[in-house]
Amino acid sequence: MNLEENVIEAKPACVNCGVALDAKSKFCNICGAHQNSQGLQEAESKWPLLKQASLFYIILIVSCALPKYVEYFDTTFWAFFFEVALWISIVAFFAINWRENKKLLRWQSFSWQKLCAYLAITVTGAFGIHYVMGWLNIVIFPNNELFDKATGSGFLYSAIIVFFTAVTPAVFEELGFRGYLMQNLLKISDERQAIYVTAFLFAILHLQIVGLAWLLPLAVFLGYIRIKENTLWYGIFIHFAFNLTACIFQLF
Amino acid sequence: MENSFATPPSPVLRCDGCFTAISDVDVYCANCGYPLKGTSNEQKRFIYKQNKSDFDSVAFTKRVKNAGETLYYLAGYFIFAGLVNTWHFWGVDNMLAIVIPNLILAMLFVALAGYSGKKPLACFISGLGLYVIVEILIMVNNPGSIGLVSLIIIGVIIGYLIKGIKSAVDIEKIKRQHNIV
Repeated sequence: MNLEENVIEAKPACVNCGVALDAKSKFCNICGAHQNSQGLQEAESKWPLLKQASLFYIILIVSCALPKYVEYFDTTFWAFFFEVALWISIVAFFAINWRENKKLLRWQSFSWQKLCAYLAITVTGAFGIHYVMGWLNIVIFPNNELFDKATGSGFLYSAIIVFFTAVTPAVFEELGFRGYLMQNLLKISDERQAIYVTAFLFAILHLQIVGLAWLLPLAVFLGYIRIKENTLWYGIFIHFAFNLTACIFQLF
Repeated sequence: MENSFATPPSPVLRCDGCFTAISDVDVYCANCGYPLKGTSNEQKRFIYKQNKSDFDSVAFTKRVKNAGETLYYLAGYFIFAGLVNTWHFWGVDNMLAIVIPNLILAMLFVALAGYSGKKPLACFISGLGLYVIVEILIMVNNPGSIGLVSLIIIGVIIGYLIKGIKSAVDIEKIKRQHNIV
């Protein structure tokens, strides 16, 4: 006697009226309800999210470009003013979606081995970039324009340089780009595109066309780590290590 | 003696909106949401919205294509600028410092334009950001080079890129509305 197996497949139910539907149904055949309303809501929220991200980026561009290129703002006071304005803006945008974003401030995947491995890769890369860019600096820029030069000396000067070049950029740039901007872009596109666009926008904001050669790979690396580890902390330490290496070359 | 007559097959019922096979118990089409048992006005309104979505899709696709072409034009502009600067600054000490950024920008815009067919949103966002920053750098380094005509051209280029981004988002929205994704 052959026993026939009767496989009863559970049919999906309509999200609105609960009636059983075929698996391939896109709309309910009884009440007409759209069966992917979440997908529709996500699609409708993309443009407002893009406008919000654009406002964020415009604030960053203005804060970076004005003190660097406009003579009136090329003073210590204005540099500090725009720096603080930038920090406040980044924290404010990060806090817009605090419920989701605060998860990135946890460090559940912490591991000493991972941290040391990432830092080793970063410092090695920073050394390599310094020597390659040093060579390019001589070849392309006869006035040695590519590197900023230290204009002072002493412990206090060095501490200020390290604070404003290594510490604060590591914290706030990670919060802004791999924190707010990437979370925003993950709602608009897939992970790869979010990593790429965040990296590209981060790299070009440094206003160095030739510097894109090392800024872009660094930013892609930071974005990849942020997605893989689902925390900002590895990126903060990587960014800090990279900038600190550059500081050391600048100071010594 | 038995006479058996083959019963003619019953005609397959089809949705007027998408011609998918339906059954007589369906109130709405499970494929497109057409109100099968709705009033004439409801059905006409549905067909009107569907046709509008089709027209909009065509218009949005054209804007996405225009934005992609804009990136190619920008690449061409920077190649041209690189060649002009090479000729103009030939033999000068910092020639490479002027020419190489133009070539890098040209390569970036070519790459973005080329890839915009597959990932329009990412490429247009990147292209817009890059173009805005380049124009800001040009304005602050050489304010005299920006005149009314330049501002209009900059506005047109930025407009095309923004329209391309919006259209890429709207195409996605239409696909979701009709559950095409």
